[in-house]
Amino acid sequence: MTIFLKKFGTTLTGRQFGKESFAAFESSLRDVKEDEKIEVDFEGVITFTPSWGDEFLSPLLERFKDRLFLKNTENPSVQATLRLLEKVHNIKFK
Amino acid sequence: MNSDLLTIKQVSEIIGVSIQTLRRWDKSGKLVSVRKKPSGHRYYSWDSVEEYIESNVKNIFKLARSWIISNPGSEPRPELYCSDSSVFQARLPKLQNELGDIKELSNIFPLILAITGEIGNNSFDHNLGNWPDIPGIFFAHSLKDKKIVLADRGQGVLKTLKRVKPELKDHEKALKIAFTEIISARAPESRGNGLKFVKDVVINNEIDLFFQTGDAQLRIQKGDSDLRIRKSKINLRGCLVSIKF
Repeated sequence: MTIFLKKFGTTLTGRQFGKESFAAFESSLRDVKEDEKIEVDFEGVITFTPSWGDEFLSPLLERFKDRLFLKNTENPSVQATLRLLEKVHNIKFK
Repeated sequence: MNSDLLTIKQVSEIIGVSIQTLRRWDKSGKLVSVRKKPSGHRYYSWDSVEEYIESNVKNIFKLARSWIISNPGSEPRPELYCSDSSVFQARLPKLQNELGDIKELSNIFPLILAITGEIGNNSFDHNLGNWPDIPGIFFAHSLKDKKIVLADRGQGVLKTLKRVKPELKDHEKALKIAFTEIISARAPESRGNGLKFVKDVVINNEIDLFFQTGDAQLRIQKGDSDLRIRKSKINLRGCLVSIKF
């Protein structure tokens, strides 16, 4: 499954918005098969922040662990956010 | 754009200068009024006041500062005020588009927006249900002077951090911890990293940050390895922030 973040907006900031986004999408995750990869695509996202990212990516990582992959992460705010989340949670995104 | 006319007293309160100064500025052409009769009262269009604010960075900052200091408090002009986080969230994409149109910012405007978002959202996250008087934040920007100003009349960093670090005694120490230690003031959640992100972004990019809470002032700019925190003579409630890019 690929999650296109731009479908949530191009300005992804705030814990509340991050939580709402995850809650809205959670039902779509029910169909994910046991060995299926989850790809998060950042294409089209302009502003990305740790508060939104933590509320959306952290539960995905917790649930899918090694099966979670990120793509199109070149945007500087995506890069900076991922660096911080990796530091905070002592993890490495793929 | 609001087309209603403002009185000279209203403009004086909005901009933070005296009525006498406004009369002088009217004569000199710095901020021109409209009069219904040649000898009548001076009125101002919101467009001209907004244009003045846009082009005068010191006044945006001064406005925010005087808004925090004023007692009793009142809501800022709607154009400068986000009463709740949804208003703030709605204004960010507009600023994103405006910054994105500036050629020399093409590489860093997402970062400027991201730190603005983290600072503004922090104000809402840490004060939700606990605003001492006026809820929400002051939020203004000047593209000409490349500056964004945010302010809140919330509890301030010391009080919110004390929830998880009750031993904290002063604003300077609280400010340092907020920008350096990974900690959450919204216990029991083990999260809270917005200001660390802000620091990392600023020291790696052409951005200057000023942040005051209580009597502690912090300045960070590109290449800084240590935080410059000093004690101010004036103790401000909440937080007052300027981002220069």
